[in-house]
Amino acid sequence: MNELFRRLRYLLNRRRFDQELAQDMDFHREMAAREGRQNFGNPLRLREEARDAWGWTWIDALFQDFRYAARTLRKSPGFTLVAILLLALGIGVNVAAFGFFNLMVLRPLPVRQPETILHFERRAPGNFADNFPYSEVRFYQAHSRSLSAVLALNFDSLVMEGEEKPLHAHFVTANFFSELGGGPALGRVLDPVRDEVLEEELVAVLDHRFWERHFAADPSVIGRAIRLNGKPVTVIGVAGRKFSGLGLDPPDLWLPISQCAFFSKRKQAQEDFSGDGMQVQMWGRLQPGLRPRVAEQELSSLAKELHAQHPNDTWKDESLLSAHGGRAVTVRSEMYPFLGMAGALCVLILVVACSNLGGLLLARGVTREREIAIRVAVGAGRGRLIRQLLTESLVLACLGLAAGMALGSIVLRLLIAWTNLPEWLSAWPDWRVTAFAAGIGLVAAMLFGLTPSLEISKQRHRASLLRKLLIGAQVAASCMLLIAAGLLVRALNHAIYTNPGFEYRQIISLDPRFRGYTPDQARSYFAALRDRLRNLPGVESVALASNPPLGNRWTVITTEIGDRTVDVHINHVDPSFFQTMNIPLLRGRNLARGDTRAIIVSESLARRQWPAVDPVGKPFRMGTDNYMVVGVSGSARLVSPEDSDAVEIYQLADADLSPMVVMVRTSAPPEGMLRPVSAATKAIDPLLFPDVQLMKDSFHAKLRLSEYAALAASVPGVIALLIACLGILGLVSFAVSERTREIGIRMALGAKPSHVLAFVIRQFSFPIAAGLVVGMAGAAALSQVLRRVLYGISNLDPIAYLAALGVFAVAVTLAASLPAGRALGIDPARALRHE
Amino acid sequence: MPKAEMPSGALALLILRVLRSGPLHGYAIGQRIHVLSAEVLQVEEGALYPALQKILLKGWVTSEWGISETKRKVRFYRLTASGRKQLEAEISGYQRVHEAIRTVLRTA
Repeated sequence: MNELFRRLRYLLNRRRFDQELAQDMDFHREMAAREGRQNFGNPLRLREEARDAWGWTWIDALFQDFRYAARTLRKSPGFTLVAILLLALGIGVNVAAFGFFNLMVLRPLPVRQPETILHFERRAPGNFADNFPYSEVRFYQAHSRSLSAVLALNFDSLVMEGEEKPLHAHFVTANFFSELGGGPALGRVLDPVRDEVLEEELVAVLDHRFWERHFAADPSVIGRAIRLNGKPVTVIGVAGRKFSGLGLDPPDLWLPISQCAFFSKRKQAQEDFSGDGMQVQMWGRLQPGLRPRVAEQELSSLAKELHAQHPNDTWKDESLLSAHGGRAVTVRSEMYPFLGMAGALCVLILVVACSNLGGLLLARGVTREREIAIRVAVGAGRGRLIRQLLTESLVLACLGLAAGMALGSIVLRLLIAWTNLPEWLSAWPDWRVTAFAAGIGLVAAMLFGLTPSLEISKQRHRASLLRKLLIGAQVAASCMLLIAAGLLVRALNHAIYTNPGFEYRQIISLDPRFRGYTPDQARSYFAALRDRLRNLPGVESVALASNPPLGNRWTVITTEIGDRTVDVHINHVDPSFFQTMNIPLLRGRNLARGDTRAIIVSESLARRQWPAVDPVGKPFRMGTDNYMVVGVSGSARLVSPEDSDAVEIYQLADADLSPMVVMVRTSAPPEGMLRPVSAATKAIDPLLFPDVQLMKDSFHAKLRLSEYAALAASVPGVIALLIACLGILGLVSFAVSERTREIGIRMALGAKPSHVLAFVIRQFSFPIAAGLVVGMAGAAALSQVLRRVLYGISNLDPIAYLAALGVFAVAVTLAASLPAGRALGIDPARALRHE
Repeated sequence: MPKAEMPSGALALLILRVLRSGPLHGYAIGQRIHVLSAEVLQVEEGALYPALQKILLKGWVTSEWGISETKRKVRFYRLTASGRKQLEAEISGYQRVHEAIRTVLRTA
């Protein structure tokens, strides 16, 4: 320890100690000379050897190397710029991707002590749910000793007077804000003392963004009453701007969970232990020092106790599982393949960028031949040379890292802004992102720096095979990424812009969102609604379906056709559905009243299941029941317009109509019909707040989503293209500067410009062509894999290949012609004096 | 002048030993060893100063300014308490090894 301290003192006072040492040794010589003895040897070298004992020589050498590297890089700004750009792209993509992963998965939510919050799920043999009956949660709240607090949340939508769109409301336990450390921006938030039990007055806390958007940040809204689902609710406060709650989707407002029963017809919610009661998400705060496992065991034994008390309503052998509750997203095992693929893509881009830069460094080695030869001549060893070259790479990596981190942060910020993620997510890199980026930078420096340093230090760089290999490899990789992107974009576009197979422009969908209706009540409600709607001018027809087209729910069964499993979308409809949605009946008959075992299959399913045979009259097995095909309808991609392989089966709606959604086709423009249709529902039951939507809007929303997907799919390809262009630009400009004299001689002897161009570019044509061929083969192989993951991709879509190759060829030619053009501008007289 | 190779590690021992009787400057250390060894051992600059730097780092000696016999301001090296302890340890270690080597030479 003492020795280390003294060593550091020597480092800090190096200059003084060095002077003292020099003085000592001078004196030594003086004395020796006085006694008639001569000392030989270089005093500087002797002093350096003595100084080695301090152990800091490497620092001096390092600084020397850094200074030298900085000088060399400054002397060739073009190369430096290209290198930094390459690295910025390669590292930036990785930083942005990891930054996003960090925000979603790794970084804790900005709440008090996020690490002790657990999110619970329940499991029993044959049963699994991530929500609980509220009464069960209250039981845990009352009896758990391993949790210091239990939080519950139930979300619902409420209709506010004067608002067309329903609001997103979170009903939360009164301790929600105090436990998570969320203070008010204005007024007060919910607190356990005042909001635990149901008061006369209904209260709500507004989300900060909702307050700004809807009330123009008006502070006088506090204490005012707003009408939600027709009931007066007093606004008591606005939550802090940075309050995240426990997820990524902040609601428009928070209400005490005790009020939930007021807005819903399930009055018995608090005492009902069965699945019919109020269902909530459950979190718990672990007592200090306990492990999650302890809480799981305690709650599981409490669950058994509860089952003993209410054997009919609760699950037998229920056990509780906990997961991290203090993070925005919890990674589930089914996300691993996707994460792996995204990660591999990012790494591939980094590798392309690095191999590209490696090629550039190698090319640069040629121009530095003289310098290296001189260094070897004055006694630089191979190790010293490699160290110097690696230091240069490290300096480049540091610059590229800074640029890459800036680029990554900007991309992340834009992503947050575009996708409308909450404000408390910060794109500023935290220590995890910084450490990750530094690691990536170091790996990159090794990747692109090591091979060229080894080659150059051997002074064997004339062997340009490695260079050609590097060019070929990166052309192949970028070509592959580009073609894959082209395939994805083409497949998505094809699916989006072809006819989805049903009418969506003139349709209004209406989800009544029943609360506590019995099947009989639902039946009479629909009958009344149908009558009223039919009498509205402008309404052409009305139909019912269990899964509304383009809606957010679907029923899927998996069946095997041939050797392939196929997901079949099941829809319960009434007979007027096909006419209303403009789906043609191609064969057989429509469904009719009393059809219990009859189904209509889509033409896409018929083609696969019974190729070249008339399917009408054929049996079809679903689960344990046998059905008979009575008709074939046109194919309609009802659920996801981008899935062109979708197949459907239609059944007659059965006795319970309560999950049904109404489809209304209008002859007039549907925008104007929204109000009369809503009014018609109000007249039947004013207590219901149906969700009324234009199907056109849902369609465009899906379309936008697919466009985003296409955009995201093409990003890696475009980046790879950019990298390849930069690399080729750099290589060709080196080829030009390397052969300036030769070009000058050729021009002086009368070579035509086209000859000069061909001469410069010729050396690259073979590796590029080989790379293209390999890249295409790779893309064909990759698309085989992609096709297994994403349906609807045709692996040999010629347009995608041609487009990708065309884009690639044009971009590469442009990149090459920029520096090649410089070759033509060479003045022969000056070129001959070059060097 | 007869010259003898210095066994490795012995130089530090000798430096510490000649400093036991009082502080000396660098040249005097070399001279003292030379004289005391009956002019057999010759300590060159190239060996003396690296060894001195190592010993300084270990904290066995400290340096202080003084005036030489030629009236020049030079650094004198003085043995510290830990240097004294180190010297004792090295001497006894050296004697043990020396005895062992002699035994081997006698009997083998």
